[in-house]
Amino acid sequence: MSYISNITNAVGTLIEGMKVTMGYFVRPREHVTLQYPDEVWPVPSRNIGVGELDAYNTIRSKLTVDMNDCIGCKACERACPVNCIHIDAYKGTPEDNLQITSNGTQVKLLVANFIIDMSECMFCDLCTHPCPEDCITMTPDYQFISNDNLKTDVTPEQRWRDKDLLIYQFSKVSEEERNRRKAEADEAKKAKAALMAAKKAAAEKAAAEKAASEQAATEKAATPEVSEETARAETEAEVIKPSQEVSPAPEEATNPINVTFHEKSSAETETEPAQPDVVTEKPDESEDSTAKESENG
Amino acid sequence: MIQSLANWILSFDILSGLGYSISWGLSLFVVSALIFVFVAVNAIVLVYIERKVSAFMQVRLGPMRVGKFGMLQTVADALKLLQKEDIIPRMADKVLFIIGPWTILIASVVTFAAIPFSETLLAANMNIGLFYVVSISSIVVLGIVMAGWASNNKWSLYGAMRSAAQIISYEIPVGITLISVVAVVGSLNLQTIVQAQAGVGNLFHWIPIPLPNWFIFHSPFLFLAAFIYLIGATAEINRTPFDIPESESELVAGFMTEYSGLRWALFFLSEYANATLVAFLVAIVFLGGWQSPFADYQGAQVALAIMTLTAGMWTAFVKTKVGRLSIYPLGLSLALTLSAWLFPGFAIWLASPGLFWMIMKAATIIFLLMWFRWTFPRLRVDQLMYVSWKVILPISIMNLMGVAVWMWLTGEIQF
Repeated sequence: MSYISNITNAVGTLIEGMKVTMGYFVRPREHVTLQYPDEVWPVPSRNIGVGELDAYNTIRSKLTVDMNDCIGCKACERACPVNCIHIDAYKGTPEDNLQITSNGTQVKLLVANFIIDMSECMFCDLCTHPCPEDCITMTPDYQFISNDNLKTDVTPEQRWRDKDLLIYQFSKVSEEERNRRKAEADEAKKAKAALMAAKKAAAEKAAAEKAASEQAATEKAATPEVSEETARAETEAEVIKPSQEVSPAPEEATNPINVTFHEKSSAETETEPAQPDVVTEKPDESEDSTAKESENG
Repeated sequence: MIQSLANWILSFDILSGLGYSISWGLSLFVVSALIFVFVAVNAIVLVYIERKVSAFMQVRLGPMRVGKFGMLQTVADALKLLQKEDIIPRMADKVLFIIGPWTILIASVVTFAAIPFSETLLAANMNIGLFYVVSISSIVVLGIVMAGWASNNKWSLYGAMRSAAQIISYEIPVGITLISVVAVVGSLNLQTIVQAQAGVGNLFHWIPIPLPNWFIFHSPFLFLAAFIYLIGATAEINRTPFDIPESESELVAGFMTEYSGLRWALFFLSEYANATLVAFLVAIVFLGGWQSPFADYQGAQVALAIMTLTAGMWTAFVKTKVGRLSIYPLGLSLALTLSAWLFPGFAIWLASPGLFWMIMKAATIIFLLMWFRWTFPRLRVDQLMYVSWKVILPISIMNLMGVAVWMWLTGEIQF
């Protein structure tokens, strides 16, 4: 008899199921679908911060900057672990009409460029804390789709060319003004570089002369008692560095030439610490490049 | 319909020189084109309705963004499908791969030739109409096996084999239930079957509830036969819960796995054409076809008026999930009136409510099929065979005998 009971059971359960679906079909009730662009889920507004961090929100999303308060200190740019903030600040002039921030600080730099690349931002919130004026903040606005994002050509690398809409420019300085300032700053930089290159070349020449004289002195001193080993080492060194004008003896571990050069160069050039090694190995090339730079400048 | 159209063409003075054969060919072409357009538009509308029905049954909204309430969604989908790349797999049997979907489509469209949509709207009045419909719709399985074999894909082949086994199994109970109706009418002509259901009678001949003489109210056996036919037909058109040939969770898409673009759209088209055909057949064979349910009632007009009024009130005041519907009946009636005024021939069609009732009945059955689809879980292959051979077939055979006994008891036939 399980045959008939199976059939009646099946029919009964099927009718029950159809009742359920028809109930949902007919009943005027709220649907679960969210018509996204028209409706959005509310952002939870509770704060989890205590005391000083009272405004600390649970949601960290789009970064915003209050440009009225920004003093161009680049603290956020340095703090950013992914380098998504790019700031260009130039020395302010009286025409720039620099104001006083809400904290009472006089702005001294013209922030010509303040770019946040939200395609690189990882929402770590590390940039907001170093800000002395509390002008860079994380907002709970998670919808990045809008028309008012500005495209900029200022990205250091053009690797995000398809994500340009996620690059936000906060500075209100006009592009012409920015370009003018940049050109001025570049000129000043180039002049400085040329100056430094000239100094460097002079120092190099002096060092090379000194080294040559010292080498000659040591060679004179060493020639009577040249062992086989040192001679072979010398020839090897010459083979390896044929372009070198003067090859130092291999047993001189503490090379006086390099030491002196380092001392001089570190005193003169702050920004280019890697330069001296290149210079010692290939002095011809470095001389050429510096000459070119000075010509261009 | 073709002959009357041909005669109508010849009745014009300018066209009378065409000759009967040319005008007959012309009207044949027109009628076939009409049927094909009906099938295509029908599929587009049904896909939209199916998506909406499924959404409402699952507390969703369904398509909402293309057009008002997403009404143009399926149009957009169809356009997208037409633009898609037409891929034929390298190892496929190219000839069969191309012929397969067309076979299925032709088999499912051609059956509409015998369907009487109204008193006059019938492409071919065949005396073996029912037999024609059942036999031609079986050609679909040939196309499915072609497509599955030609795809050179295990999923496709499995789907095709399952489909063949399923359709052949369920054809027997379907045929037997239809025979039980033919036994009552004594004719295979679909128009005759519809006309045999005219008038009002008692429910099951003796119970004194006045109901139309539809075969579903003829006897308890035919009442059961209607549901058996519906179940068998659901299996024949591969719809859930009998969709094992294209079961998505097992066979990706069954026999249509390798198809894309237009050919895939043809499968979809024929699927919905088949569903519509089944709905029309149920309406014709069991629900009185184009006969109005109020045909011979005293005060049928009153009943109709009350119904319309209730529906109007409901649509005007009930706020449904798709918004207030009040404007749509109004607009529809306005459009109908306007078109009836502009085209007198259309007014004649409207005056004969056959088409309206036919479509209403078919729509009810289609909704039932959708209801099945979004409620029932899929059967296993062995369960499917069990249901076919061990449950539905014996019941339908006993049903056939029961119908015969019932007719002897009620005195419809004498020995």
